[in-house]
Amino acid sequence: MSAMTCDRLKELAPELALGVLPAQERARAVAHLDRCAGCREYVEQLTLVGDGLLGLLPGTEPPVGFETRVVDRLSRSRPAPPRRLRLRVAAAAAAVACAFGFGGWAVGTALDDAPAPLSAQDQGHPALLQAALVANGHEVGRIFAYPGSPGWVYMSVDLVGLEKGAGEKVHCRLERSDGTTVPVGSFTLKGGYGYWGAPAPVDAATVSGAQLLAADGSVLATAHFPPRDAPS
Amino acid sequence: MQRMGLPLGRATDEALLSGLTTGDPEIAVAFVRRFQRIVFGVAIAVVGDPQLAEDIAQQTFERAWRHAQIYDSRRGSVKTWLTTIAHNLAIDAVRARRASPVAPEDLDALLDIVTDTPEQQALADETSARIRSAVAALPREQARALVMAGIYGMTAQQIAEFERIPLGTAKTRIRTATRKLRTTLGTEASRR
Repeated sequence: MSAMTCDRLKELAPELALGVLPAQERARAVAHLDRCAGCREYVEQLTLVGDGLLGLLPGTEPPVGFETRVVDRLSRSRPAPPRRLRLRVAAAAAAVACAFGFGGWAVGTALDDAPAPLSAQDQGHPALLQAALVANGHEVGRIFAYPGSPGWVYMSVDLVGLEKGAGEKVHCRLERSDGTTVPVGSFTLKGGYGYWGAPAPVDAATVSGAQLLAADGSVLATAHFPPRDAPS
Repeated sequence: MQRMGLPLGRATDEALLSGLTTGDPEIAVAFVRRFQRIVFGVAIAVVGDPQLAEDIAQQTFERAWRHAQIYDSRRGSVKTWLTTIAHNLAIDAVRARRASPVAPEDLDALLDIVTDTPEQQALADETSARIRSAVAALPREQARALVMAGIYGMTAQQIAEFERIPLGTAKTRIRTATRKLRTTLGTEASRR
Protein backbone atom coordinates (compact mmCIF):
# COMPACT_ATOMS: atom_id res chain seq x y z
CA MET A 1 0.00 0.00 0.00
CA SER A 2 1.56 3.31 -1.09
CA ALA A 3 1.94 6.19 1.32
CA MET A 4 -0.63 8.93 1.20
CA THR A 5 0.88 12.02 -0.40
CA CYS A 6 -0.52 15.53 -0.48
CA ASP A 7 -1.30 15.14 -4.20
CA ARG A 8 -3.18 11.92 -3.58
CA LEU A 9 -4.98 13.46 -0.62
CA LYS A 10 -6.13 16.37 -2.74
CA GLU A 11 -7.59 13.91 -5.24
CA LEU A 12 -9.56 12.20 -2.50
CA ALA A 13 -10.41 15.36 -0.56
CA PRO A 14 -13.82 16.04 -2.19
CA GLU A 15 -15.09 12.56 -1.34
CA LEU A 16 -13.58 12.84 2.13
CA ALA A 17 -15.20 16.22 2.73
CA LEU A 18 -18.59 14.98 1.54
CA GLY A 19 -18.30 11.92 3.78
CA VAL A 20 -18.45 9.31 1.03
CA LEU A 21 -14.87 8.09 0.91
CA PRO A 22 -14.71 4.32 1.53
CA ALA A 23 -13.47 3.36 4.98
CA GLN A 24 -9.97 2.14 4.14
CA GLU A 25 -9.03 5.21 2.08
CA ARG A 26 -10.70 7.40 4.64
CA ALA A 27 -8.53 6.01 7.41
CA ARG A 28 -5.37 6.65 5.43
CA ALA A 29 -6.52 10.13 4.49
CA VAL A 30 -7.35 11.03 8.08
CA ALA A 31 -3.96 9.76 9.21
CA HIS A 32 -2.37 12.06 6.67
CA LEU A 33 -4.45 15.00 7.87
CA ASP A 34 -3.19 14.43 11.38
CA ARG A 35 0.27 15.46 10.28
CA CYS A 36 -0.44 17.86 7.41
CA ALA A 37 -1.92 21.24 8.27
CA GLY A 38 -2.11 22.32 4.62
CA CYS A 39 -4.26 19.38 3.57
CA ARG A 40 -6.37 19.79 6.67
CA GLU A 41 -7.12 23.36 5.70
CA TYR A 42 -7.95 22.25 2.16
CA VAL A 43 -10.40 19.61 3.36
CA GLU A 44 -12.01 22.05 5.77
CA GLN A 45 -12.69 24.41 2.89
CA LEU A 46 -14.27 21.62 0.90
CA THR A 47 -16.37 20.69 3.89
CA LEU A 48 -17.99 24.11 3.58
CA VAL A 49 -19.23 23.02 0.17
CA GLY A 50 -21.06 20.09 1.71
CA ASP A 51 -22.49 22.32 4.42
CA GLY A 52 -23.61 24.83 1.81
CA LEU A 53 -25.25 22.13 -0.24
CA LEU A 54 -27.26 20.94 2.75
CA GLY A 55 -28.21 24.56 3.36
CA LEU A 56 -30.06 24.54 0.03
CA LEU A 57 -32.51 21.91 1.18
CA PRO A 58 -35.88 23.49 1.85
CA GLY A 59 -37.33 23.51 5.32
CA THR A 60 -40.32 21.24 5.76
CA GLU A 61 -42.98 21.44 8.42
CA PRO A 62 -42.84 18.29 10.55
CA PRO A 63 -46.00 16.38 11.47
CA VAL A 64 -48.38 17.89 13.99
CA GLY A 65 -47.25 17.31 17.56
CA PHE A 66 -43.59 16.92 16.66
CA GLU A 67 -42.46 19.72 18.95
CA THR A 68 -44.24 18.22 21.95
CA ARG A 69 -42.92 14.74 21.24
CA VAL A 70 -39.35 15.98 21.04
CA VAL A 71 -39.55 17.95 24.26
CA ASP A 72 -41.16 14.98 26.02
CA ARG A 73 -38.36 12.77 24.79
CA LEU A 74 -35.76 15.21 26.05
CA SER A 75 -37.37 15.52 29.44
CA ARG A 76 -37.54 11.74 29.79
CA SER A 77 -33.83 11.55 29.07
CA ARG A 78 -32.96 14.14 31.65
CA PRO A 79 -31.58 12.97 34.98
CA ALA A 80 -33.92 13.61 37.87
CA PRO A 81 -33.05 16.74 39.81
CA PRO A 82 -31.64 16.29 43.29
CA ARG A 83 -34.55 16.58 45.69
CA ARG A 84 -32.81 16.45 49.03
CA LEU A 85 -30.62 19.48 48.53
CA ARG A 86 -32.50 22.54 49.53
CA LEU A 87 -29.74 25.06 49.88
CA ARG A 88 -29.44 27.24 46.86
CA VAL A 89 -25.69 26.90 46.60
CA ALA A 90 -25.76 23.13 46.89
CA ALA A 91 -28.55 22.87 44.36
CA ALA A 92 -26.70 25.12 42.01
CA ALA A 93 -23.56 23.05 42.30
CA ALA A 94 -25.49 19.87 41.57
CA ALA A 95 -27.08 21.49 38.57
CA VAL A 96 -23.66 22.42 37.31
CA ALA A 97 -22.53 18.84 37.60
CA CYS A 98 -25.60 17.56 35.78
CA ALA A 99 -26.20 20.21 33.23
CA PHE A 100 -22.82 21.64 32.38
CA GLY A 101 -20.12 19.27 31.48
CA PHE A 102 -18.29 21.75 29.38
CA GLY A 103 -15.36 19.60 28.36
CA GLY A 104 -12.52 20.54 26.13
CA TRP A 105 -12.20 24.22 26.53
CA ALA A 106 -14.54 24.04 29.20
CA VAL A 107 -14.56 25.18 32.10
CA GLY A 108 -16.99 24.04 34.11
CA THR A 109 -16.48 23.96 37.75
CA ALA A 110 -18.34 26.98 38.24
CA LEU A 111 -18.77 27.43 41.87
CA ASP A 112 -15.40 27.61 43.52
CA ASP A 113 -16.59 31.03 44.50
CA ALA A 114 -19.96 30.32 46.02
CA PRO A 115 -22.49 32.56 44.33
CA ALA A 116 -24.22 34.96 46.61
CA PRO A 117 -27.86 35.64 45.86
CA LEU A 118 -28.33 38.91 44.05
CA SER A 119 -31.75 39.59 45.44
CA ALA A 120 -35.19 38.14 45.08
CA GLN A 121 -35.64 37.03 41.50
CA ASP A 122 -38.07 38.94 39.44
CA GLN A 123 -40.08 36.20 37.80
CA GLY A 124 -42.04 38.77 35.91
CA HIS A 125 -39.09 39.78 33.72
CA PRO A 126 -37.50 36.62 32.43
CA ALA A 127 -36.15 38.06 29.18
CA LEU A 128 -32.78 36.62 28.28
CA LEU A 129 -30.14 39.30 28.70
CA GLN A 130 -27.12 39.45 26.50
CA ALA A 131 -24.22 41.80 25.92
CA ALA A 132 -20.82 41.97 24.30
CA LEU A 133 -17.76 41.42 26.46
CA VAL A 134 -15.40 44.22 25.63
CA ALA A 135 -11.66 44.59 26.27
CA ASN A 136 -9.62 47.56 25.13
CA GLY A 137 -12.52 48.71 22.99
CA HIS A 138 -12.81 45.40 21.15
CA GLU A 139 -15.47 42.74 21.46
CA VAL A 140 -13.88 39.61 22.91
CA GLY A 141 -16.96 37.55 23.57
CA ARG A 142 -20.59 37.56 24.61
CA ILE A 143 -22.40 36.92 27.83
CA PHE A 144 -25.95 35.69 28.28
CA ALA A 145 -27.80 35.90 31.56
CA TYR A 146 -31.15 34.25 32.07
CA PRO A 147 -33.24 35.57 34.91
CA GLY A 148 -35.72 32.69 34.98
CA SER A 149 -35.89 29.83 37.41
CA PRO A 150 -33.37 28.37 37.44
CA GLY A 151 -31.32 31.31 36.29
CA TRP A 152 -28.05 30.82 34.50
CA VAL A 153 -25.12 32.62 32.96
CA TYR A 154 -23.28 31.59 29.84
CA MET A 155 -20.40 33.23 28.05
CA SER A 156 -17.92 32.65 25.29
CA VAL A 157 -14.58 34.42 25.47
CA ASP A 158 -11.78 34.79 22.96
CA LEU A 159 -8.78 36.62 24.37
CA VAL A 160 -6.35 35.25 21.80
CA GLY A 161 -3.75 37.90 21.13
CA LEU A 162 -4.13 39.59 24.46
CA GLU A 163 -1.20 39.14 26.77
CA LYS A 164 -3.25 38.89 29.88
CA GLY A 165 -5.70 36.14 30.66
CA ALA A 166 -4.85 33.98 27.67
CA GLY A 167 -4.11 30.84 29.64
CA GLU A 168 -5.26 31.34 33.12
CA LYS A 169 -8.17 30.93 35.42
CA VAL A 170 -10.61 33.77 35.06
CA HIS A 171 -13.47 34.84 37.25
CA CYS A 172 -16.86 36.16 36.33
CA ARG A 173 -18.97 38.45 38.38
CA LEU A 174 -22.22 40.22 37.75
CA GLU A 175 -22.62 43.91 38.38
CA ARG A 176 -25.72 45.45 39.86
CA SER A 177 -27.04 48.89 39.14
CA ASP A 178 -26.12 50.04 42.66
CA GLY A 179 -22.46 49.37 41.90
CA THR A 180 -22.10 46.18 43.91
CA THR A 181 -20.90 42.96 42.35
CA VAL A 182 -21.62 39.27 42.85
CA PRO A 183 -19.22 36.44 41.91
CA VAL A 184 -20.86 33.73 39.84
CA GLY A 185 -17.97 31.42 39.01
CA SER A 186 -14.55 30.76 37.57
CA PHE A 187 -13.16 28.92 34.60
CA THR A 188 -9.92 28.40 32.75
CA LEU A 189 -9.17 29.62 29.26
CA LYS A 190 -7.29 27.36 26.90
CA GLY A 191 -5.15 29.32 24.49
CA GLY A 192 -7.18 32.37 25.28
CA TYR A 193 -10.46 30.77 24.31
CA GLY A 194 -13.21 29.23 26.34
CA TYR A 195 -16.88 29.07 27.02
CA TRP A 196 -18.63 28.42 30.24
CA GLY A 197 -21.98 28.36 31.84
CA ALA A 198 -23.41 27.85 35.28
CA PRO A 199 -26.60 28.23 37.21
CA ALA A 200 -26.72 31.66 38.78
CA PRO A 201 -29.39 33.77 40.36
CA VAL A 202 -29.94 36.65 37.95
CA ASP A 203 -32.17 39.48 39.01
CA ALA A 204 -33.37 41.23 35.88
CA ALA A 205 -34.38 44.27 37.88
CA THR A 206 -30.93 45.01 39.23
CA VAL A 207 -28.30 43.32 37.10
CA SER A 208 -26.54 45.85 34.90
CA GLY A 209 -23.47 44.15 33.54
CA ALA A 210 -20.63 41.73 34.11
CA GLN A 211 -16.91 41.66 34.58
CA LEU A 212 -14.32 39.08 33.64
CA LEU A 213 -11.38 39.17 36.02
CA ALA A 214 -7.87 37.79 35.81
CA ALA A 215 -6.44 35.71 38.61
CA ASP A 216 -4.83 38.81 40.12
CA GLY A 217 -8.18 40.57 40.23
CA SER A 218 -7.59 42.94 37.34
CA VAL A 219 -10.47 43.43 34.94
CA LEU A 220 -9.99 41.66 31.60
CA ALA A 221 -13.29 42.54 30.00
CA THR A 222 -16.60 44.12 30.84
CA ALA A 223 -20.15 43.85 29.59
CA HIS A 224 -23.11 46.17 29.97
CA PHE A 225 -26.60 44.83 29.51
CA PRO A 226 -28.89 47.15 27.60
CA PRO A 227 -31.15 49.24 29.82
CA ARG A 228 -34.62 47.83 30.27
CA ASP A 229 -37.89 49.52 30.83
CA ALA A 230 -38.59 50.02 34.49
CA PRO A 231 -41.26 47.67 35.80
CA SER A 232 -44.56 49.31 36.19
CA MET B 1 -44.35 28.51 27.93
CA GLN B 2 -45.97 31.63 26.60
CA ARG B 3 -44.31 33.44 29.47
CA MET B 4 -40.97 32.95 27.77
CA GLY B 5 -42.11 32.97 24.17
CA LEU B 6 -41.11 36.39 23.02
CA PRO B 7 -37.80 36.87 24.84
CA LEU B 8 -36.54 33.40 23.97
CA GLY B 9 -37.72 33.90 20.44
CA ARG B 10 -35.24 36.74 20.16
CA ALA B 11 -32.32 34.91 21.78
CA THR B 12 -29.38 33.99 19.57
CA ASP B 13 -29.04 30.44 18.34
CA GLU B 14 -25.94 29.96 20.45
CA ALA B 15 -27.64 31.19 23.60
CA LEU B 16 -30.61 28.90 23.05
CA LEU B 17 -28.32 25.94 22.53
CA SER B 18 -26.42 26.71 25.70
CA GLY B 19 -29.67 27.17 27.57
CA LEU B 20 -30.80 23.76 26.37
CA THR B 21 -28.30 22.19 28.74
CA THR B 22 -30.13 23.61 31.73
CA GLY B 23 -33.05 21.28 31.07
CA ASP B 24 -35.51 24.18 31.05
CA PRO B 25 -38.48 22.93 29.00
CA GLU B 26 -39.30 26.43 27.77
CA ILE B 27 -35.87 26.76 26.23
CA ALA B 28 -36.20 23.30 24.73
CA VAL B 29 -39.49 24.31 23.11
CA ALA B 30 -37.99 27.52 21.76
CA PHE B 31 -34.99 25.64 20.38
CA VAL B 32 -37.07 22.92 18.71
CA ARG B 33 -39.52 25.46 17.34
CA ARG B 34 -36.73 27.46 15.75
CA PHE B 35 -34.96 24.58 14.03
CA GLN B 36 -37.58 21.89 13.45
CA ARG B 37 -38.36 22.84 9.83
CA ILE B 38 -34.69 22.81 8.88
CA VAL B 39 -33.94 19.55 10.63
CA PHE B 40 -37.03 17.79 9.35
CA GLY B 41 -36.39 19.20 5.86
CA VAL B 42 -32.94 17.61 5.71
CA ALA B 43 -34.23 14.31 7.04
CA ILE B 44 -37.18 14.04 4.67
CA ALA B 45 -35.07 15.07 1.68
CA VAL B 46 -32.63 12.25 2.31
CA VAL B 47 -34.88 9.42 3.48
CA GLY B 48 -38.15 10.33 1.76
CA ASP B 49 -40.23 8.59 4.44
CA PRO B 50 -42.10 10.92 6.83
CA GLN B 51 -42.14 8.44 9.71
CA LEU B 52 -38.45 7.71 9.43
CA ALA B 53 -37.71 11.40 8.91
CA GLU B 54 -39.53 12.27 12.13
CA ASP B 55 -37.55 9.68 14.03
CA ILE B 56 -34.32 11.08 12.61
CA ALA B 57 -35.35 14.63 13.44
CA GLN B 58 -36.15 13.60 17.01
CA GLN B 59 -32.80 11.87 17.33
CA THR B 60 -31.13 15.00 15.99
CA PHE B 61 -32.54 17.16 18.76
CA GLU B 62 -31.72 14.54 21.34
CA ARG B 63 -28.16 14.37 20.12
CA ALA B 64 -27.89 18.15 20.09
CA TRP B 65 -29.15 18.24 23.65
CA ARG B 66 -26.63 15.60 24.74
CA HIS B 67 -23.70 17.22 22.96
CA ALA B 68 -24.48 20.91 23.26
CA GLN B 69 -21.39 21.32 25.39
CA ILE B 70 -19.05 20.36 22.56
CA TYR B 71 -20.61 22.70 20.01
CA ASP B 72 -17.93 25.12 18.82
CA SER B 73 -19.19 28.31 17.22
CA ARG B 74 -15.89 28.80 15.42
CA ARG B 75 -16.61 25.75 13.27
CA GLY B 76 -19.97 26.88 12.02
CA SER B 77 -23.41 28.05 12.97
CA VAL B 78 -25.82 26.14 15.18
CA LYS B 79 -27.98 25.65 12.09
CA THR B 80 -25.11 24.05 10.18
CA TRP B 81 -24.22 21.90 13.17
CA LEU B 82 -27.79 20.61 13.48
CA THR B 83 -28.05 20.10 9.75
CA THR B 84 -24.91 18.00 9.78
CA ILE B 85 -26.19 15.86 12.65
CA ALA B 86 -29.51 15.30 10.87
CA HIS B 87 -27.74 14.51 7.62
CA ASN B 88 -25.39 11.98 9.20
CA LEU B 89 -28.27 10.23 10.93
CA ALA B 90 -30.30 10.20 7.73
CA ILE B 91 -27.43 8.76 5.70
CA ASP B 92 -26.90 6.07 8.32
CA ALA B 93 -30.60 5.20 8.16
CA VAL B 94 -30.56 5.04 4.37
CA ARG B 95 -27.48 2.85 4.32
CA ALA B 96 -29.01 0.53 6.89
CA ARG B 97 -32.40 0.19 5.21
CA ARG B 98 -32.10 0.60 1.49
CA ALA B 99 -29.90 -1.09 -1.09
CA SER B 100 -30.48 1.77 -3.51
CA PRO B 101 -29.96 5.16 -1.83
CA VAL B 102 -32.06 7.14 -4.29
CA ALA B 103 -34.68 6.69 -6.96
CA PRO B 104 -34.02 8.50 -10.26
CA GLU B 105 -37.18 10.58 -9.97
CA ASP B 106 -36.25 11.63 -6.43
CA LEU B 107 -32.82 12.72 -7.61
CA ASP B 108 -34.17 14.87 -10.42
CA ALA B 109 -36.79 16.40 -8.15
CA LEU B 110 -34.21 17.30 -5.52
CA LEU B 111 -31.81 18.64 -8.12
CA ASP B 112 -34.56 20.93 -9.38
CA ILE B 113 -35.19 22.15 -5.85
CA VAL B 114 -31.57 22.98 -5.07
CA THR B 115 -30.97 24.67 -8.42
CA ASP B 116 -34.23 26.56 -8.54
CA THR B 117 -33.74 30.21 -7.75
CA PRO B 118 -36.96 31.86 -6.69
CA GLU B 119 -36.43 35.47 -5.82
CA GLN B 120 -37.42 35.18 -2.21
CA GLN B 121 -34.80 32.52 -1.57
CA ALA B 122 -32.11 34.62 -3.20
CA LEU B 123 -33.06 37.57 -1.04
CA ALA B 124 -33.21 35.48 2.10
CA ASP B 125 -29.63 34.25 2.12
CA GLU B 126 -26.90 35.55 -0.14
CA THR B 127 -24.53 32.67 0.50
CA SER B 128 -27.18 30.09 -0.28
CA ALA B 129 -28.13 32.02 -3.40
CA ARG B 130 -24.54 31.93 -4.64
CA ILE B 131 -24.18 28.24 -3.97
CA ARG B 132 -27.52 27.60 -5.61
CA SER B 133 -26.43 29.52 -8.69
CA ALA B 134 -23.12 27.67 -8.74
CA VAL B 135 -24.88 24.30 -8.63
CA ALA B 136 -27.27 25.44 -11.35
CA ALA B 137 -24.31 26.46 -13.51
CA LEU B 138 -22.70 23.03 -13.28
CA PRO B 139 -23.10 20.60 -16.17
CA ARG B 140 -26.09 18.44 -15.29
CA GLU B 141 -24.04 15.28 -14.83
CA GLN B 142 -21.70 17.03 -12.39
CA ALA B 143 -24.61 18.49 -10.44
CA ARG B 144 -26.20 15.04 -10.22
CA ALA B 145 -22.96 13.54 -8.92
CA LEU B 146 -22.61 16.31 -6.37
CA VAL B 147 -26.16 15.89 -5.09
CA MET B 148 -25.84 12.11 -4.98
CA ALA B 149 -22.65 12.33 -2.93
CA GLY B 150 -23.30 15.47 -0.87
CA ILE B 151 -26.95 14.93 -0.02
CA TYR B 152 -27.71 11.25 -0.52
CA GLY B 153 -24.30 10.12 0.74
CA MET B 154 -23.63 7.86 -2.23
CA THR B 155 -20.07 6.69 -2.76
CA ALA B 156 -18.33 7.15 -6.10
CA GLN B 157 -18.85 3.43 -6.72
CA GLN B 158 -22.60 3.73 -6.14
CA ILE B 159 -22.77 6.78 -8.38
CA ALA B 160 -20.87 4.93 -11.10
CA GLU B 161 -23.36 2.05 -10.94
CA PHE B 162 -26.35 4.37 -10.78
CA GLU B 163 -25.20 6.44 -13.76
CA ARG B 164 -23.65 3.47 -15.57
CA ILE B 165 -20.32 5.21 -15.96
CA PRO B 166 -16.75 4.17 -15.08
CA LEU B 167 -15.70 4.67 -11.45
CA GLY B 168 -13.02 7.14 -12.52
CA THR B 169 -15.61 9.26 -14.29
CA ALA B 170 -17.80 9.34 -11.19
CA LYS B 171 -14.85 10.42 -9.07
CA THR B 172 -13.94 13.11 -11.57
CA ARG B 173 -17.48 14.50 -11.57
CA ILE B 174 -17.58 14.68 -7.78
CA ARG B 175 -14.14 16.27 -7.65
CA THR B 176 -14.78 18.82 -10.37
CA ALA B 177 -18.16 19.89 -9.02
CA THR B 178 -16.89 20.20 -5.45
CA ARG B 179 -13.90 22.26 -6.48
CA LYS B 180 -16.07 24.60 -8.54
CA LEU B 181 -18.30 25.25 -5.55
CA ARG B 182 -15.30 25.74 -3.33
CA THR B 183 -14.08 28.38 -5.77
CA THR B 184 -17.45 30.09 -5.53
CA LEU B 185 -17.29 30.11 -1.74
CA GLY B 186 -13.67 31.28 -1.80
CA THR B 187 -14.53 34.13 -4.13
CA GLU B 188 -17.33 35.20 -1.87
CA ALA B 189 -15.12 35.04 1.22
CA SER B 190 -12.43 37.15 -0.41
CA ARG B 191 -15.02 39.80 -1.28
CA ARG B 192 -15.98 40.26 2.36
